[in-house]
Amino acid sequence: MAELFHRKIERTAIGFVLAIIAAASVGGIVEIAPLFTIHQTVEDAPDMRLYTPLELAGRDIYVREGCYACHSQMIRTLRDEVERYGPYSLAVESKYDHPMLWGSKRTGPDLARVGDKYSDLWQVAHLTNPRSVVPESNMPSYAFLARTPLQTDDLRLRLAAQRDVGVPYTDDMIRNAAQDAYGQATPDSDYASGVTQRYGEATQVRAFDGVTTELTEMDALVAYLQILGRLTDAAYKHTAAPQKPPEPVK
Amino acid sequence: MDIDHDTLVAFSKSWGLLYLIAFAVAVTLYAFWPSNRERFRDAKKRILEGDDRP
Amino acid sequence: MIKQLTSSERQGAAVLLGLLAAIGVLMAALGRTGPFGIHGLIVILFALALLFPVLSTFYEPEPDPERLTYYYDDPIKAGIVLTMAWAVFGMFMGVWVAAQLAWPNLAFDAAWSTFGRLRPTHTTGVIFGFGGNALISTSLYVVQRTSRARLAGQLSPWFVLMGYNLFCILAVTGYFMGVTQSKEYAEPEWYADLWLVIVWVSYFILYIRTLARRKEPHIYVANWYYMAFILVVAVLHIVNNIAVPISWGSAKSYTVWAGVQDAMVQWWYGHNAVAFFLTSGFLGMLYYFLPVRAQRPIFSYRLSILSFWGITFFYMWVGSHHLHYTALPHWVQNLGMTFSVMLLVPSWASAGNALLTLNGAWHRVRDDATLRFMMVAAVFYGLSTFEGSFLAIRPVNALSHYTDWTVAHVHAGVLGWVALITFGSIYTLVPSLWKRERMYSPVLVEVHFWLAIAGTLVYVFAMWNSGIIQGLMWRTYTADGTLAYSFVDSLVAMYPYYIARTFGGFLFLLGTLVGCYNIWMTVRAAPATAGRRLDVPEPDGAGMAPSPAE
Repeated sequence: MAELFHRKIERTAIGFVLAIIAAASVGGIVEIAPLFTIHQTVEDAPDMRLYTPLELAGRDIYVREGCYACHSQMIRTLRDEVERYGPYSLAVESKYDHPMLWGSKRTGPDLARVGDKYSDLWQVAHLTNPRSVVPESNMPSYAFLARTPLQTDDLRLRLAAQRDVGVPYTDDMIRNAAQDAYGQATPDSDYASGVTQRYGEATQVRAFDGVTTELTEMDALVAYLQILGRLTDAAYKHTAAPQKPPEPVK
Repeated sequence: MDIDHDTLVAFSKSWGLLYLIAFAVAVTLYAFWPSNRERFRDAKKRILEGDDRP
Repeated sequence: MIKQLTSSERQGAAVLLGLLAAIGVLMAALGRTGPFGIHGLIVILFALALLFPVLSTFYEPEPDPERLTYYYDDPIKAGIVLTMAWAVFGMFMGVWVAAQLAWPNLAFDAAWSTFGRLRPTHTTGVIFGFGGNALISTSLYVVQRTSRARLAGQLSPWFVLMGYNLFCILAVTGYFMGVTQSKEYAEPEWYADLWLVIVWVSYFILYIRTLARRKEPHIYVANWYYMAFILVVAVLHIVNNIAVPISWGSAKSYTVWAGVQDAMVQWWYGHNAVAFFLTSGFLGMLYYFLPVRAQRPIFSYRLSILSFWGITFFYMWVGSHHLHYTALPHWVQNLGMTFSVMLLVPSWASAGNALLTLNGAWHRVRDDATLRFMMVAAVFYGLSTFEGSFLAIRPVNALSHYTDWTVAHVHAGVLGWVALITFGSIYTLVPSLWKRERMYSPVLVEVHFWLAIAGTLVYVFAMWNSGIIQGLMWRTYTADGTLAYSFVDSLVAMYPYYIARTFGGFLFLLGTLVGCYNIWMTVRAAPATAGRRLDVPEPDGAGMAPSPAE
């Protein structure tokens, strides 16, 4: 039986093709499809907030520069990792991450909870010349970020595309994307109040790169780094040994 | 019915295992079926003959 | 080469290239000065560069109708040259990024040359540029010889080869500009991905139509592996790259997958890129070129069938072993681990089958560096599949993951297995394609072999050491129960190994350059073999029994 069947499918190469697809797709279907249907896969976190336009722009810079090649954003459920980096990562924390940036290699440390761990000043100095603050570092210098103005005219499109793939941005948020990006890094401007109004009181509004006169890519990337691990407090509540999130450093 | 962790585990331990075994048996039968012996021997030898002519 | 096309085929080529140039103009218009616009410009230049030779031979006389009774090797020759060109590029970028980890100032304070942007140019350059071109060229060679039929198309092999290289060029030039999806080994953005789908479908159609023309009753097992490579890569590529561009004039897109599902889809893709790109296709190479070079049939044909279905079935389950101890549900991690361990059986069946084929021909392995390339490749295949199954076990993975041990494992596989089997196959192919008695210099093949082996060993041992030291330092506790080392302590310990691995990679690159010179001299300098029979096709109906495929 088996023999006749195989001879038949082999004779017509098309049948052979179907057999390969059938054998090969089972694994993927069984492992991937249930991730969407089993509701325990992603925890509930009612306090989960969205990336502001400035943070999303920073995230896109993080992607563009390939930071994920050396930095993970996934603290595993191992004692040493929890002690080094903080509570282990939950699925819900990357629920709005298109794409996820869990990473696969730590040439540098994990960044899942780097938000508020260092001051803005430290982050800017470190990105400008890593060896000025960590002499042993082998990270490249990203001084050009502070020289490059942030492009804000396509932020509206970016938020709209994020909504298309499932992130619940409102029409109001999309319409005001460019102003909100400017406002978040310019606390004295008229646009600053709109940011906290749309994205919540906890949103960090300040001149991230220390310069208020110009909105640069450095502002965006630092704003993103400072929100990492702080979109929700779920990780501090769900884990076996609850911890308090660190106090924000200003 | 709600699909949860336990349903999947039960499914893979019953039907999944059966599928795996049936698949392995079918492939083994094909590979060792006596009447295929000749074709396979022919196939493995023929690639060495005159590869300069279609 | 274009002279071998009929005038209507030349017209077809000109029309296709004109269309491509028009697409480029459209992209340039929509994208303006952004990366999308620059890519439009690159598409235009690519189309014009190919249009030039087509138009300059446009009014040449029609080719000899006799040519249809020969194997069609022109695109394969071009493919081999492209393979070696990409090998040099990809490996050079590898040495550069490796050096940057030891001496970070080698980025020269520019944006385009930072580690994050250069790293994918290395991975794409070697996996897709070098590996992909090698797979396309050898598969088109093998499918013709094992089917005893000419390729089913005059223009489509060129379309597949050139289209694929356009994809690689768009990918690599994009990274320098920061165009990336950030999905490892699937970094190219949406438009390059769409283009690859078109190219890949034509590749599939070409391959299956050639198989359908075969004069052999049985499809030789090497073709099974190539088929699995073509088919499964198509499925993986499409599913992992579904994305929404922010506008039709922008290179930027967002994947539809998010968070934990994205992680699973990405590593289902990522590991099966290893399985079906870097394993299945190259096993196809092994199952054809090793027996041919050794002049001995494969040890057990039945075993090759069993391992084929084993590999095709098991591999698709193992991707989740990249996500042990993460937020991925436990049951998926367990499935990934179990199947990874089971995968060792078909993998070792293939490696053993290859080595047992050489039993009785060891004197050839001793004397012939080309055959030795393939023998050592099979050994490295066995070693790295064992290491892979081992690293997929959860407690082992706890130590190895995120460290250089993974890098060591990958390079044992790609340098020791993929690159060596490719060089062995190319050294078998080149004299056959260009009708030479042998390679220009067997001594240089020998030199290449030892440079490649030395480079691989230095690289892999350096990364094993650094990976294990790193993993241990991260989890070492003092007597008081606190972590003994800061992260920076572990980084400082890595520097000697980063220098050693740069040196290992440099040796490997040197070997590749020697290979390029040898191939160049074989093509240019060596005289054509006088006695060798011409590639005459078998007349229809002669010799073989009528085949069921016809």
